Amino acid sequence: MTLPHAFDADDSSERPTVLLVDDDEVTLMLTAEALRERGFEILEASSGEQALALLSERMPDMIVLDAMMPGLDGFDTCVALRATPGFENMPVLMLTGLDDEASITRAYRAGATDFFVKSTQWSLLAGRLRYLLRSARTRLELERSKSKLARAQDLARMGSFDWRRASSGQHHGGLTLAPEALRVFGLGPDEPLSMRRLIRMVPMPERRGLTRVFGEVQSHSTVLAIDVPVNLPSGLTRIVHIEAEPEFNEQGHSIGYTGIVQDVTDRRVAEDRIRHLANFDALTGLPNRRQLIWRTERALDHARRMGHQAALLLIDLDRFKVINDTLGHAAGDELLVEVARRLRGCVRHSDQVLDGALEAAGNRGHRSLEAVGRLGGDEFIALLPEVSDESDAERVSWRILEAMREPIFVGGQECFVTASVGIAIYPRDGVSVADLMRNSDVAMYSVKNAGRNASAVYSPMLAGRGREKLELESALHKAIERNELVLHYQPKIDVRSARMVGAEALMRWQRGHTLVPPGDFIPLAEETGLIVPLSEWALREAARQAKAWGLSFGFSDSIAVNLPNRMFERSDLVEHIHQCVSAYGVPHRAIQLEITETGLMKDLQNVIPCLHRLTEIGVEISIDDFGTGYSSLAYLTTLPISELKIDRSFVRDLGITPQSSAVVTAIIALARSLGLRVIAEGVENLRQMEVLHRLGCGVMQGFLFSRPIPPDELERWLQQTVLPRKAPWIVPAAAERVELPRTTGGRRP
Amino acid sequence: MTTISSPPDAARVSPPPVPAPGGGTTVLDAQALANLSQLDPHGTSRLVQRVLSTYRGSLARLLSQLAQARAQSDLAALRLVTHTLKSSSASVGALSLSGLCSAAEQAVRDGDLDALPALLDRLEAEAVRVDAAVSQLLSTQPT
Repeated sequence: MTLPHAFDADDSSERPTVLLVDDDEVTLMLTAEALRERGFEILEASSGEQALALLSERMPDMIVLDAMMPGLDGFDTCVALRATPGFENMPVLMLTGLDDEASITRAYRAGATDFFVKSTQWSLLAGRLRYLLRSARTRLELERSKSKLARAQDLARMGSFDWRRASSGQHHGGLTLAPEALRVFGLGPDEPLSMRRLIRMVPMPERRGLTRVFGEVQSHSTVLAIDVPVNLPSGLTRIVHIEAEPEFNEQGHSIGYTGIVQDVTDRRVAEDRIRHLANFDALTGLPNRRQLIWRTERALDHARRMGHQAALLLIDLDRFKVINDTLGHAAGDELLVEVARRLRGCVRHSDQVLDGALEAAGNRGHRSLEAVGRLGGDEFIALLPEVSDESDAERVSWRILEAMREPIFVGGQECFVTASVGIAIYPRDGVSVADLMRNSDVAMYSVKNAGRNASAVYSPMLAGRGREKLELESALHKAIERNELVLHYQPKIDVRSARMVGAEALMRWQRGHTLVPPGDFIPLAEETGLIVPLSEWALREAARQAKAWGLSFGFSDSIAVNLPNRMFERSDLVEHIHQCVSAYGVPHRAIQLEITETGLMKDLQNVIPCLHRLTEIGVEISIDDFGTGYSSLAYLTTLPISELKIDRSFVRDLGITPQSSAVVTAIIALARSLGLRVIAEGVENLRQMEVLHRLGCGVMQGFLFSRPIPPDELERWLQQTVLPRKAPWIVPAAAERVELPRTTGGRRP
Repeated sequence: MTTISSPPDAARVSPPPVPAPGGGTTVLDAQALANLSQLDPHGTSRLVQRVLSTYRGSLARLLSQLAQARAQSDLAALRLVTHTLKSSSASVGALSLSGLCSAAEQAVRDGDLDALPALLDRLEAEAVRVDAAVSQLLSTQPT
């Protein structure tokens, strides 16, 4: 046994104190002298009474008692000593005569630790005393360790037990439990627990299993490890873990078991909770994706074995994003909870956590797999483990659509929610969970495209479009790394000076030999989140182009890059722009950002801080498609923006409907009073240009000047059209310029 | 161990070691005395003198207790006296005396009262010889 440092001291390095008790002065004197010589401190007493009196003041390490003394003899002294608190475990060596066997027995009975025959061989005595001292220390350490173990077991609600087989006559067998183990069963240290009583504490259904396991383990002498519920005398039910190993005698026969019992109720409760968290959606309490996939796999196994069909219904809420955006996430969550409640009512929903207990339920067990679960977001799945044909599944889908019909009251108002349901049937539409998920998704998208709020069963015909989209998505992923993306530029023209005053960058995708227009991939990029890397690439590329043009023809204006509003929510946007311009050594104002009015207003609170930071570093903000959204004018006065961009729809109708020129006039007036620049886009003919100019908007872009073109073409266009002043729009604008002071002068204060 | 006493059975059957007539040297065992002085090899604590004089005092007291116990036929006192004298005598090398004590103690314990008076007489006689030897030894010790 390894002793802790405090008890590890070498005996010879210290002087243990010994109390010698002997009525014979000569022996006392000699023994004392001999022991002092051998490294002991000696206290002397010439009688039992004197010894006891001395011990009330001094605490020796051990006591040597002469057995035969007048008055209180050694035996009586020892008995008295053992009854004294603090001396229960004191090593006591009784000195007896060699010819006195009776004394030896009496000595042990009186509580002496050991006996020693009186002799003048002092080294023997000293050796015996050192041995006693060491064993006393070892014993003390064992006592401590035992009490530590008991305390640890107590804390761990654990205790040890032994069980002995009844062996032919010799041993009647039975169960022995440590006090800590008894406590696990809610029993006091003196309350016996027989095997019979223990088994009776286990509730009935588990009791049979327990006795069976006990029987099997015993007959094979194998290790036992089992968790059983136990009804405690207090009425509580706890889960007790029993673990035991067989013990064998010298002949190799099993004589019983030794092991521990532990109350594992808390652990089991925690484990159940973890299992629940891992398998169920925290918001709605429905099975989550993991649990759904698990259930579907089991259901398909069963369907395969039994040769029946199963169905997977993918349910996606229509326009849930709108609700989330307008009423807030809290209301959105509330709505999902209510939808979950309603969906649950549409199937024989089972909430059980399933993980292997299924087999016990027999052939109808697969029915308990039926459930509605939440895949994530506003997507739910209904699993029908057995359907006779697709009409079964369709009936459930109609029930679901019907359940959505009632308005849902969230965020202080009534919401009308519809859903699109896609159905895939096993084995016809797929034999794996992944196939069925994908095809129910295809069917669901066909419903969305056909106007939502309906259900559709998958058919291979539907897959064509879906697959196209998938391919597009994966190709777009690779577009950036393959350098397939390009920016085209449309010049911004100041018609008064007939100069280019900037350009708008527009993204194109050079996919093989075809140039994919933004309308065909930007929505997909927005949907998939690819818009973020796409936008970041555009910013870098625009900065690079600004530098290239600067070197080539002294370009010092800004290039406008369109960003979706989600980019403005990214905390790293400012840093990213900074890196882009720094990388090419152009000023921050070389990049201008365009955000659509709708995008800005939708998420105003989240976007504003970013706009401020951008403005601070010199990046100007332009509001795109201005006039089509519903700007709060109050906000507009405080927003850190530099430019309003009149939407092309107003420009298109200029000179055709009087309303459009009224709107344009209002926007220009608004911009002027707010100190903002104004620019018109979509200018296609001279008439539009003239009207805009007359109304006070001098900066424009559109096909009249140039389509969006590659950067090298733009350079050529400048060289060949603008500088030689050869374009048709230059002359009228120049003519207009002469009249300019008169036309605009009246409007200026 | 045999220096302390002879086996109890032997003690009863044959007489314990008796000093040879006229030979004073066997009264105190030389080896035992040597062991004694080993405890204080340089004599710094004058251990031998202290032990021997303590023994003389103790011997005188025990002999008077013995006489009293014999007079009153107090067997318990007899047993204690012989027991104590047995071990202290052994310590100073009075092996014959120690052996006689042992035999007497055993006789008391066994209730063998017939043999006891003769044993005790021999014990008292040997005690006188031991006392003389110790006294002589003390006088030759350096002071």
